[in-house]
Amino acid sequence: MRRSRILWSAIAVAAATAVALTAPARAADIIAEWASVKAPSPPAVKSVTVDPKTTALLMLDFLPSYYCSNDPRCIATLPAMKKLLAEARAHGATVVYSIAGKFTAADIAKDVAPKSGEPVVKSHADKFIHTDLEKILKDKGIQTVIVNGTAANGAVLYTGSGAALRGMKVIIPVDGLSSKNLYAEQLTVWQLAHGPGFGKRITITRSDMIKF
Amino acid sequence: MRRILLAAAVTAAVLAAAAGSASAASIIDEWASVKAPAAPALKPVTVNTKDTALLMLDFLHSNCNPERGKRCIASLPIVKKLLDRARAKDMLVVYSAYGKNTEKNIWADVAPNGTEPFVVSFLDKFIGTDLDKILKAKGIKTVIVVGSAANGAAFGTASSAAQRGFTVIVPVDGISSDNLYAEQSAVWNMVNAPVISSKITLTKVDMVKF
Repeated sequence: MRRSRILWSAIAVAAATAVALTAPARAADIIAEWASVKAPSPPAVKSVTVDPKTTALLMLDFLPSYYCSNDPRCIATLPAMKKLLAEARAHGATVVYSIAGKFTAADIAKDVAPKSGEPVVKSHADKFIHTDLEKILKDKGIQTVIVNGTAANGAVLYTGSGAALRGMKVIIPVDGLSSKNLYAEQLTVWQLAHGPGFGKRITITRSDMIKF
Repeated sequence: MRRILLAAAVTAAVLAAAAGSASAASIIDEWASVKAPAAPALKPVTVNTKDTALLMLDFLHSNCNPERGKRCIASLPIVKKLLDRARAKDMLVVYSAYGKNTEKNIWADVAPNGTEPFVVSFLDKFIGTDLDKILKAKGIKTVIVVGSAANGAAFGTASSAAQRGFTVIVPVDGISSDNLYAEQSAVWNMVNAPVISSKITLTKVDMVKF
């Protein structure tokens, strides 16, 4: 114990010296360094097979009068989402919806609207917060969630992270998420693929690469 | 007749290709064309020390070291200044770690004083801990979030705090990731994500007034 303290002290001194020598690197914070930041390579898009008995499809905030309004990128996700939804239902997978703000289940886009009996939760961003989404999923023995929706950098990013942090496997189809801003979509996919703490729980895929 | 058929076939092929490429297009295909938006503005903030807590997240030997965490090491003297000022005003200071780390694994310069609360969780420090309860029991309404990784503990906890109704202050020189894109995109999203961004203010340590 004492030895490891001494070791860490030595490392600290060395690190402080190194930092002092290269001080300008940090004196400039990320705002000052903003223009020099380069995007990393995109993550690999992988095929994935799920067990429909323990998998839930999460359909987040497909609300034409909210974030999916006047947003061609959200509208463009609907045909692929309609197919994925049909396939999930055909295989008996669980489907859970979310809404936000003042909206109700009746406001969800018709092409991907919920069927009676499919749960709908209401919250902003991380749909586990202020809802019983975790209980709904646990009661059904869900171990894997496929997360789709809009905004990518709101509902998808935070609910995907929230599911991974609660021990679930998370599948993110890149053709099921959308934001009006491309940078917002890019950071969503990258952070979910590489965020610290997720380990290998999150898989980036495309809706037609998911097998039930 | 043959020409018409050929024209029809060509049209069909063009339509199919167009439809195909439209549905295949995703952020992965567009990746290289994405440009970073302008940097967000940093704003001076004045906090009420009675209902504000300083959250000191994961300043640990294991993630904040010269091999993986150079920017975190460099942030320690800046964070220490903020910590000293917060303690001088008797503000609540809460610490965190992840995995099997304990308070002993926090860098000595910014370590807890023995009475300050300590929670253990990954990324979003509200999950699986009583952080929400600790803050609410003390009447905390505003949290100042510093820590590493910028896109891990700082991002996850700041966003979660915003959604749980806290006002959130994030000094950009108190959060860090060695991957600059990770840091940039985390900073940008905190003040651009729908709804929760309305609760988060970006600032710098010396722009925080008590």
